[in-house]
Amino acid sequence: MKLEVEGLTVYFPYESIYPEQVEYMRELKRALDAGGHALLEMPTGTGKTAALLSLIVSYSIHNPQLKLKLLYCTRTVHEMEKTLAELRLLASHLPNSTNILALGLSSRKNLCINPHVLSAQSRDSVDASCRRLTASWVRTLAHHNPQLPTCPFFEAYDRASSAGPDALLLPPGVYTLGDLRSFGRSKGWCPYFLARHMIRYANVVVYSYQYLLDPKVATIISKEMHKECVVVFDEAHNIDNVCIEALSVSIRKQTLEGATRNLTQMSHEIERLKATDAGRLRAEYNRLVEGLAQRGNLAITDAWLGNPALPDDILKEAVPGNIRRAEHFLSVLRRLVQYLKSRLLTEKVETENPVNFCAAINSQAGIDQKMLKFCYDRLHSLMLTLEITNTDEFMHIQTVCDFATLVSTYARGFSIIIEPYDERMPTIPDPVLQLSCHDASLAIKPVFDRFQSVIITSGTLSPIDLYPRLLNFSPVISCSFTMSLTRDCICPMVLTRGSDQLPVSTKFDMRSDPGVVRNYGRLLLEMVAAVPDGIVCFFVSYSYMDGIVNNWNEMGILQDVMQHKLVFIETQDVVETTLALDNYRKACDCGRGAVFFSVARGKVAEGIDFDRHYGRLVIMFGVPFQYTLSRILLARLEYLRETFQIKEGDFLTFDALRQAAQCVGRVIRSKADYGMMIFADKRYSRHDKRSKLPGWILSHLHDAHLNLSTDMALHIAREFLRRMAQPYDKTGCGSKKTLLSEEDVMKMSEGAMDTY
Amino acid sequence: MAVISVATRYKTTVKEPGVPGVLKMNEERFVFVPNDPRSLMKLNGEFKNIKGHKFSKDGSKQALLNLTQDPEKGTGYIFEFDNFTDRNSCRDFIGRVLGKLQSVPGRPNEQSVPEKSAGAPLPEQLSAIEMERRIKLLREDSELLRLHKQFVLSGVLTESEFWATRKALLGEDTNRTTKQQPGFKSAMLADVRPSADGRTNKVTFSLTPEIIQQIFAEKPAVHRAFLNLVPSKMSEKDFWTKYCRAEYLNRTRNAAVAAAEAAEDEELAVFLKHDDILANEARRKIRRVDPTLDMEADEGDDYIHLPDHGILRDGQKDTAETETEVSRRTLSQDLNRHAAVVLEGRALDVELGDTRTVAEALAWSKQELLSKEKSEENVNLEKQERVARMTELEDLQAPRNPQYASLCIKDPREYFDSQQANALRALGGTEFGTNSLDLNLSKEEVYLHLKEQISEAKSRGLRNPIIRPDTALKVFSGLSQHLSSTRFQLGKNSQESALDRIPHRTKDDLMHHWTSIQELLRHFWSSYPITTAGLYNKVQRVKDAMGQIYQKLQEIKESSQSDFRHQVSLLVQPMLQALDAAFAHYDSEQQKRTARSSAKPNGFVR
Repeated sequence: MKLEVEGLTVYFPYESIYPEQVEYMRELKRALDAGGHALLEMPTGTGKTAALLSLIVSYSIHNPQLKLKLLYCTRTVHEMEKTLAELRLLASHLPNSTNILALGLSSRKNLCINPHVLSAQSRDSVDASCRRLTASWVRTLAHHNPQLPTCPFFEAYDRASSAGPDALLLPPGVYTLGDLRSFGRSKGWCPYFLARHMIRYANVVVYSYQYLLDPKVATIISKEMHKECVVVFDEAHNIDNVCIEALSVSIRKQTLEGATRNLTQMSHEIERLKATDAGRLRAEYNRLVEGLAQRGNLAITDAWLGNPALPDDILKEAVPGNIRRAEHFLSVLRRLVQYLKSRLLTEKVETENPVNFCAAINSQAGIDQKMLKFCYDRLHSLMLTLEITNTDEFMHIQTVCDFATLVSTYARGFSIIIEPYDERMPTIPDPVLQLSCHDASLAIKPVFDRFQSVIITSGTLSPIDLYPRLLNFSPVISCSFTMSLTRDCICPMVLTRGSDQLPVSTKFDMRSDPGVVRNYGRLLLEMVAAVPDGIVCFFVSYSYMDGIVNNWNEMGILQDVMQHKLVFIETQDVVETTLALDNYRKACDCGRGAVFFSVARGKVAEGIDFDRHYGRLVIMFGVPFQYTLSRILLARLEYLRETFQIKEGDFLTFDALRQAAQCVGRVIRSKADYGMMIFADKRYSRHDKRSKLPGWILSHLHDAHLNLSTDMALHIAREFLRRMAQPYDKTGCGSKKTLLSEEDVMKMSEGAMDTY
Repeated sequence: MAVISVATRYKTTVKEPGVPGVLKMNEERFVFVPNDPRSLMKLNGEFKNIKGHKFSKDGSKQALLNLTQDPEKGTGYIFEFDNFTDRNSCRDFIGRVLGKLQSVPGRPNEQSVPEKSAGAPLPEQLSAIEMERRIKLLREDSELLRLHKQFVLSGVLTESEFWATRKALLGEDTNRTTKQQPGFKSAMLADVRPSADGRTNKVTFSLTPEIIQQIFAEKPAVHRAFLNLVPSKMSEKDFWTKYCRAEYLNRTRNAAVAAAEAAEDEELAVFLKHDDILANEARRKIRRVDPTLDMEADEGDDYIHLPDHGILRDGQKDTAETETEVSRRTLSQDLNRHAAVVLEGRALDVELGDTRTVAEALAWSKQELLSKEKSEENVNLEKQERVARMTELEDLQAPRNPQYASLCIKDPREYFDSQQANALRALGGTEFGTNSLDLNLSKEEVYLHLKEQISEAKSRGLRNPIIRPDTALKVFSGLSQHLSSTRFQLGKNSQESALDRIPHRTKDDLMHHWTSIQELLRHFWSSYPITTAGLYNKVQRVKDAMGQIYQKLQEIKESSQSDFRHQVSLLVQPMLQALDAAFAHYDSEQQKRTARSSAKPNGFVR
């Protein structure tokens, strides 16, 4: 259908539309018109992505002079696939004259089609074997000596692209990773470099958060994006954590050992080079004297990880003289590694700020701050000079240099924490030196500065005023939408007691109580017998889930559960979890029914939908608080309190509740869908916790459902399921329309005109 | 008739040893003859007295079968078999017989009628099973029985002619009683728990054949080890002892001890190590997984998961355990694996006694599965479709067109036989055959004729639309007018139809004639074009029968009371018309025949 949103014709890929989608589009359009940033919260299950894509794509179609490009950032690759599938649906509803090119971008591992490279096992080796075949010096050598292996796909791509920089290589359309691969296969071109090349011309690019937020990646991939881009961060409730991760580095014993090995190898390399091709080292030295850290225009295949510091903070000057010579630089690095090793030997936890740490390095190892700052650039230059292709082996020294560059560049918002062992396993020595970033606004700042419109959207952004503070930006539109429901298709409940009326909770002192474990088990057992199809359970952590599932197994509860439904569990192994999910869906599809045990904050909770029959009930066992004794968390809380005046307790509750809301929000996808949500912890009944839940859940949480025991919850569940099984009128009735057709939208906009 | 005879022991209670002998069963009776001729434990019972049957579980101690009788006639008969295969074949047989018997309520009384007819002079020899089936059909359907009586017994139609139009009924019956396949148990049997006696340090594991089967299915490495080692290297008992030992080590979670033992004993290590078959299988399956939940692809995304970048120990992620050669199998892995196996379903159907055969059968079924796997291209397409379906918001979508069931013709011959006459008529009209078809034609002439026919068909086209629109409209308006007028006369009562108003007797008669006419007309029209003398005779017979019914219908029409006369005549009208059309066709054909009969070459019947 086509609809008018404040004078803009929007192509929408469905026959009808929800009223909140129209609202959402209107706000979004205003943000685009104003050329500012926006923060939009809309409940899950209201077609957020579809509305977002249709509006922005239509906007760019109607304003071709703006050259709008949409950069759509997702958390994970599978979300990327989902988004591209929606885009494909949209593309088929656009007028015929418009051609849009949309593609997803991922790593070499996900895009490579060279069978020789693919036979390598892990990601790093795919990267490395690709470089081994495509690095510029390898190709130059191969030019003279045809015996050397190169990648036929890359060579073919290179020939095709050399016809002209603007030769459009990819016909318009929507390309998922799979499509890119099959296109590459049919043409014999390398899909990875093709995609990298094509993002310049694409109207829509879908990729991962890191490609914009992590300076190491963003400087390489997203360098050429213009200001006119509209950046969308979907499912952005965790965006602050991603920002923080992007600027954090951790160094373990293994890292330092690896770094030492790397250094030895490099010095051998240098010796060899001195003997055979001393000119190369001299050329590098001369370049550095001239103040060029980088070697001009790098070939696309040579680019590796970029500078870990943000582009604005990188010193634009010549590399200091005392590390220009390769041997000197290596000895600096050796001293640095040695110093870090000595710091790791500590027996108690140490927390330090970057300024002190740099001063300590200077006094103990004789490396001043400026040298540290140039560590990354100098290493990069050296690796290119040494023509190192197996980059994965040199990851360790890279980490150390990243650490050095970051710690010397930033004086505020970071801290260095050295922990000799994991807090929860004090007997096992596992020292970690952690440079952790506390300020989420640092990493995202260049994005806000560079692009005119950044849209941050998710189903859970409550409280909505907190995000601008955490990310330090001022949105022109900040809006939270409610959900208009035809029927009460969600049924949140707070369960505080087991059937024996004893309270249940995952509070630290209660969680291992066998009574609580049994009550949780009984709850699951009752529900499994009453609820059809799929049930999802979320636990607060892996270790807790492992413990309780083992307990249930011993108690025989698990065996009883299996009488009704198959049981699948998320594990730390992604392959196994993926297969378990696939099987879970199969079990739901064939009517067998299944339970999926998962972890809040885990990978499944982040991006997998349990819509329709894949999830009729979600049980949140406990409140997913962060591990509050973690030093890093404590340091971050302190920083937040000092800088943003956010109280510790408030932040912790906010964080726990957004995770819980995120987990339960996975069950509903559209208004035709329905699902129940059980918050099984007595703490949810307290107002200060509950009120942090997003509005669309709170509005369905009746007072009568705030303090339930297992048998009462079972009764409510039965009633709810019976009610939902009845046929209903999809469009809603009278003034409260929940599904709009094209005419309805037209009438609505006319009505709005009249009131103005 | 199917007969089964099995060696068994008959006993009156479960406890007693029983009398050895042979149990013979056919579709109606079961006879037990003891091996010892002096024994008094002879049995000769009828299945119709048997209410139901019970049996012991596969893999339990005794292979028992219990036939329960009607309560007033006494208790049941218990048979113990030597093995489960025999028992199961008996069980399945009895299940089928009882299923058939119980679906026929009043069986013995009306038996005589159809059987007599079956004995009537028949050109074809029917197998006993075929006969049985027909009898059963007649018994189940009183309408059919009446038609059969009316036409077959009176000689209008022959037995085979009558059944020829009902092949579908006969065919369907054959595959109705297929064996039901039991699925896998939901319970996790492979998770064997040791039991300690409390006094000594001994723990006991007990494995049943069923558990062993599950272990094989869920742990391919154990399965492979079994196939390799037993019985060439070690006995089965040793094998399982070793397995239990490994399980015990795993259960105690003493990684150091496990590692030490595994280092010493390479066979034991097989059970403790990572299952490489499973790992390979996972690698294969992950490529076919739905991309919208492929978290593995995520892991592979560049730069997101750089080692040592990001926050390592913030309390959210648990530190990964170090991988050792003897890795601990966790409960969650077991659970996932178990559920996956249950979902795959049990593919083998073997006796659960001998472990070796079970193991081999499993290996076979796995190979079959592998060969069946679809090609990569198909999988890709399927994936895409699935993703597209998953992303759509269903309630925003306009309602889709109703789904059409595709036309499915089970037996193509049946369809084309019946269509042949129609096709011929459409091509050559009624004058087919008379149309200058001289049988002394030369090849060229035949060829020319064929060409002519083809061009004719071409020019006419496959008439599209088949019915001219104006004719269709006329019929429709006529029908709706008729409907609305009856509705008007009847008033608003929607439950009542025109039939309910006329007297009961007349209605029954009409209904009966209607079915008879349909049957006869079907036979009449399907015999054209007449190519054999048999068909000619059949048409004669059918036509006579139709004439009789025509008379009767006329009588009904005239005899009915005045207030219903209109209704009745409306109902009778279409029947008479159909019959008239048939008569007219018959007459015209007859005329052509007589006209042509002089010029007919010898021996050709038309």
